[in-house]
Amino acid sequence: MSALHALLARLIGDFGATLVLGAGTILGYLTFNVLFLIWLERKVSAHAQRRLGPMEVGFHGSLQTVADMLKLLSKQLVTPLATDHFTFLFAPILIFIPTICLTSLVPLGDARAFAEMPNGLVVVVVLSGITVIAIFMAGWSSNNKYAVLGGMRSVAQVVAYEIPVLLSALSVVLIAQTLDLHEIVSGQHVPYALYEPIAALIFFIGITAETNRAPFDIPEAESELVGGFHTEYTGMRFALFFFAEYTNMLVLGAVGATLFLGGWKGPLAGRWPFLGPVYLLLKAYLVVFLMMWARWTFPRLRFDQLMNFAWKLLIPVALVNLLVTAIVLEALPLR
Amino acid sequence: MSLLRRILAGLKSLLVGLGITGRHMVRPVVTLQYPHERPDVSRWGGPIELVTFPETGTHDCIACNACARICPSDCFDIEGVRPPGLKKMRATKFLLDFSTCSLCGLCIDVCPTDTLKYSAHYDDAAYARALTVNDLLEPFGQDPYLAGKTP
Repeated sequence: MSALHALLARLIGDFGATLVLGAGTILGYLTFNVLFLIWLERKVSAHAQRRLGPMEVGFHGSLQTVADMLKLLSKQLVTPLATDHFTFLFAPILIFIPTICLTSLVPLGDARAFAEMPNGLVVVVVLSGITVIAIFMAGWSSNNKYAVLGGMRSVAQVVAYEIPVLLSALSVVLIAQTLDLHEIVSGQHVPYALYEPIAALIFFIGITAETNRAPFDIPEAESELVGGFHTEYTGMRFALFFFAEYTNMLVLGAVGATLFLGGWKGPLAGRWPFLGPVYLLLKAYLVVFLMMWARWTFPRLRFDQLMNFAWKLLIPVALVNLLVTAIVLEALPLR
Repeated sequence: MSLLRRILAGLKSLLVGLGITGRHMVRPVVTLQYPHERPDVSRWGGPIELVTFPETGTHDCIACNACARICPSDCFDIEGVRPPGLKKMRATKFLLDFSTCSLCGLCIDVCPTDTLKYSAHYDDAAYARALTVNDLLEPFGQDPYLAGKTP
């Protein structure tokens, strides 16, 4: 890797080489991750229903998603006449950008992440909120009533669930005394999920809602809204929405693992640094698996139930939890 | 208090739901991978076929046309010859048009030599009507009686 970096640095400069290698690594891994997660989703759904799922292409259907991706790549891109063309074409790209930025923020190991910031947690929360703009752009520019409904529902939902996510993350910040994701992990000798089980649960519910996953998938509720905001998208543009959804699952799962499950820490991770990313990914995939498990268990919430759940239950509970955390931290001489 | 109770009951119901799907996730699957694995349909009555008798290794159709006469849908097309030195006829042509067969079983009941039965075939779909006409003698190859050998 460093030899490659040196070679590239001679051609396009040091910064350019880091950028190319970093983006290449991240995008390459994310592509693999999406293919893996879609396969995993299909397997989890199948086994939850006592089926086998994809079995034909590759070992246990492991190449099924590769075949699906090739099919989507080769499909015609249809742009309906009545769309707002620029917004329509830009939305699938925009939905992807914050996700990639998020990926570079999560510390993979004791070494620094690709783009680490002293206030990383704030950036994470802000970036994960941007996705909703792209979803709304897609819904609005499609000029389709189902797409508009899906987009609007998505905005209402993400705005509502951003708050409990932020509040539960704040209770971790209170314990860790820092907004730096890297330092949150280094200070985390016991997973914070044990100190803050309620916050961890609220965070999990919040990120499930933010990634538009069932039981909070009303923006793309198939049985009500055709496909919701991506109804009018075809081929690879549609695939980009999928790409973003599954990438978001992994990244928010990794953020959750960083905040509550001890990030890259694990047995022997101190001695062999390469174990750090392995532990982080294992924990992130555990969170993702829980999200999938929940998806294939729970029915979709009605819209009013969804909003009531966020505003009348999650936010008050998260606020009380934050308050109790603050009081306990002040009262007990832990530090 | 009742709100708290409702929240706890709701949480419990969520866990129960996860428990149910989680249990099913580790149980064996109940589906068959169809083209590779096939269900046991030996008790199922599929298209009519000729019985192979173990004593002779072949069917015992004497081309009496009893089945063709009783068939309500006129599915059969049977011809036969008498091999030299034998009393019974042997079928030389036995076509069954499965597209009109209603699987009523009258031919099976009426057959004097009991050489008709329901088969266990089930994937006989075809793209042309002509392909649904089954040649029931085809699986038997050359008839030993007609070839002059008596099994």
